[in-house]
Amino acid sequence: MKCWRMREVAIVSVGYTRVSEHWEKSLKGLFVEASLKALEGAGLDIRSIDGIYVANALSGYIQGQTNLANVLADSLGLYDKFAISIDAGGASGALAIHEAYKDVAHGVRDLVLVCGVEKMSEALSQEMMSALMSVQDQERFKYTGITIHSLAALIYKTYLKRYGVRQEDVALMSVVDHEHALTCSHAQYPFRLSVEAIMDSAFLAEPIRVLEVPSPSDGAAAIVMCSHEMAKELGLLHVRVAASVVARDRLDLMEREDLLAMKALVEASQRAYEGANIKPSDLSFAELYDDYSVTGVIALEKLGLCGPGEGVELLKSGEVKLKGSIPVNTFGGLKARGAPLGAIGVYQAAEAFLQLTNSAGPNQVKDARIGLTHTSCGFNSLVVINLLEACC
Amino acid sequence: MATSAYWRTRLQRYRLVGNKCATCGRVFFPPRLVCSHCGSTKLEECKLPERGKLVEYTVVYSAPKDYDAVVPYVVGIVELENGVRVVAQITDVDVNEVKEGMEVELTIRRLPEQLEGGLICYTYKFRPVIG
Repeated sequence: MKCWRMREVAIVSVGYTRVSEHWEKSLKGLFVEASLKALEGAGLDIRSIDGIYVANALSGYIQGQTNLANVLADSLGLYDKFAISIDAGGASGALAIHEAYKDVAHGVRDLVLVCGVEKMSEALSQEMMSALMSVQDQERFKYTGITIHSLAALIYKTYLKRYGVRQEDVALMSVVDHEHALTCSHAQYPFRLSVEAIMDSAFLAEPIRVLEVPSPSDGAAAIVMCSHEMAKELGLLHVRVAASVVARDRLDLMEREDLLAMKALVEASQRAYEGANIKPSDLSFAELYDDYSVTGVIALEKLGLCGPGEGVELLKSGEVKLKGSIPVNTFGGLKARGAPLGAIGVYQAAEAFLQLTNSAGPNQVKDARIGLTHTSCGFNSLVVINLLEACC
Repeated sequence: MATSAYWRTRLQRYRLVGNKCATCGRVFFPPRLVCSHCGSTKLEECKLPERGKLVEYTVVYSAPKDYDAVVPYVVGIVELENGVRVVAQITDVDVNEVKEGMEVELTIRRLPEQLEGGLICYTYKFRPVIG
């Protein structure tokens, strides 16, 4: 419901680090690097912004650092500007963009920096298992031996059985991600991956294999947002936020009537399409939240890019590749670009910006006009859909 | 987790106690403070049935700290006799012999993790019904 006329919102610049295990860089170092790149990209002085949103999921767990936005704002020399932390697991980055979008749309703030940052390499791998599980209700799951991968595996098996598809075909999601990362300079894993290699890799929780799931990584991505009017006045290359929608479903999988319904994803995408007055077929590309190969395949279906159970057919058709009719994960997605948890949504927005300003180099999707980013946490319990549109 | 936080969950951990909404009749496990279906705050403690059917399962190979000695182990969805579904470990079954549709029953088992001061942790698991 719009109570007053909202301002059009633009993204005017992006900056990011490579997704990697950055042994020599701290959480703070990654944040400052990405933030300064985004500001420099728009020729903006650090003092000109109104403040920052910082998206992060695990610093309280891994680094023992809470109050993150406050700490990081100081590291950027922003001692007198607003600084707000957004903590929503894997959805943090996109949710921070949503909050900044509202601020600018409603005229509360004019020029806002959004930075997603995560540093996962400082946790031992077994600690990471517990850290990833910490987005679920701890009163329910702590001291039960139930892992995040085991919950995903239950969704995966349900999917394979319901639609009678093979894991080898679902795993194509990861193969496509890796193919797109080959020419992505900020990707964690810019190499080819075969279905055979995936099927030969070890089980995390049967049937999920190591090579169809992202690995822990470090990275930061930042974007600068302002009103469309201001972007034009400043003469900046920009893209428009055509819709930004948040929807929720029950976090507890056992309280959902159907493990594959993903109601919040369906609701958020439908509301976003309506808000932007487009159909799924109007999308030039989509960045999916494929935290598992199967969740990427399910997203293809729930976003309306194909029918129920047709996700693997769409993958096999090749239409999701860069030259296809609906390219997905154009820089490698969660699997191959990498998935620094709280930063994911900002990486997706930065990549969409590159596509829509014709700056995506070898990964450029032809005539990119409108792109979708899907970010979520808790198996699409909290979903953010952002639609970005070219302005030239 | 503080010992007191563990202690507060003793009824659900040791006896599979959930609760039931006095307004709409939904049964929850673990117990909820507010009914997620009708919003009622009138919820009554409710012991869940101890038997059910394994509707889906997975074998866990990659586990948290302290679990090295117990992998691989089975995690599954158990549909209890009243229709409530619970995710839990399935025990006393070979990972090659576990099957969907298996009749299972509640058992309380020790976990490899320990609380501060060496206190032993237990949780509910389900095991195949023999015979």
